[in-house]
Amino acid sequence: MNRFIKSSLRVSLFAFVCFILPRGAGGTVDDAQSFALQAAEQNVKEGFQVREDYWGGDLGSGEKKAVRQQLFKGNEYWFWMGTEVERAKISVHIYDSEGKLAEQPDSWEKGHFAAAHVIPRATSSYFIIVSVEESPEERTHWALVYGFR
Amino acid sequence: MIAFSKTLKISASVFLGATLCVHAAQAPQRIDVSKMSKQVENVVVPLPNEIFGALNKLGSVNWREYVRTEKSSNFTERPRIALLLGTVIADGFIAVQAEDAPAVKDIGHRVLELSKGIGVGNSIVPHAKAITEAADKRKWEDVRQELDRTQSSVQAAMNEVQDQKLSQLVSLGGWLRGTQVLTSVVTKHYSTDGAELLHQPDLIVHFQTQLQGMPEFVEQAPIIRDIQNGLGQVKPLVDAGSAKISADSVRKINDITTKLDSGIVTKD
Repeated sequence: MNRFIKSSLRVSLFAFVCFILPRGAGGTVDDAQSFALQAAEQNVKEGFQVREDYWGGDLGSGEKKAVRQQLFKGNEYWFWMGTEVERAKISVHIYDSEGKLAEQPDSWEKGHFAAAHVIPRATSSYFIIVSVEESPEERTHWALVYGFR
Repeated sequence: MIAFSKTLKISASVFLGATLCVHAAQAPQRIDVSKMSKQVENVVVPLPNEIFGALNKLGSVNWREYVRTEKSSNFTERPRIALLLGTVIADGFIAVQAEDAPAVKDIGHRVLELSKGIGVGNSIVPHAKAITEAADKRKWEDVRQELDRTQSSVQAAMNEVQDQKLSQLVSLGGWLRGTQVLTSVVTKHYSTDGAELLHQPDLIVHFQTQLQGMPEFVEQAPIIRDIQNGLGQVKPLVDAGSAKISADSVRKINDITTKLDSGIVTKD
């Protein structure tokens, strides 16, 4: 019986080390997405419809990535970014097709959450620049979701 | 008490400063777009309801006029089913705009049928059920959300089995149907703001690039060649630069997309 308990404990410990620890320590883009959705909560209450599609990946400290999105004049958009790395600092900013900053002043960034608000002045393609400003991790997962109303 | 009020003042200024830091967008006012092109990730294709929402704000639209429930042809070629699936999901968004519950339910069943046709039916069953339930309760916001989830799940299931190209055809089918309806509405009641919603040249380039990467589908689905040609005709009409998109251009785009839509839903 003792031997059985010991070997069960060993198997459980092995499973914990192999499967649970790496996920907890490393996280995934899906984890980052859940933080991006958390950043969206207040705006969802205000009637913004969040798209199921999202962008994600990983970036090193100081790295940026641009995504392009077609926006329609008449709609109002929020882009929410998140990462599961709680000590990271991230940012998201929106530029029009000519490279001019297009976001509203209520856009914000707070540690591992950031959001940018845009009311397009023209129907066109816009650039959304995401960045990991600082992070204790070598690579930091990020996710960006958007909503409109 | 004085010390306390001093501490309070300092704390308030620290808090205010911190708050300003949170809100201050310390981003450059301008970026060099030409340098961005190499860093840019793929475009997310807007859903038809995103465009319909903007269109609705320009004036009331009689969406019932555009509801389509008649069953389209049955296909066995997967690229054709994928295009049709995108079109039918777009029809779902139109039926939601029209608040037509029986049409939404019919479309939900058709989406499930087509998803089974390309082997991703299992991931759609719960969505089809949720669409029917929400339509019965006339919870239109829930139906919209569920249609978005349906498209996302179909595409995720396709991507999982390395069928990214079929997934792209779903988006393209939806975009074509959405554009057809948008141009129908704007042709009937022309306004420069309505026509401006067609200003999507980058999205057309995005679709053209994707279609160039699927020559193997052209034999199975010659409609793909027609779509390539059609997009080539539409691009200069929407790429008006700072000029307005004219009523004539809107009508021409409507003719092109109507012909393509008919090619997608009917057998050759």
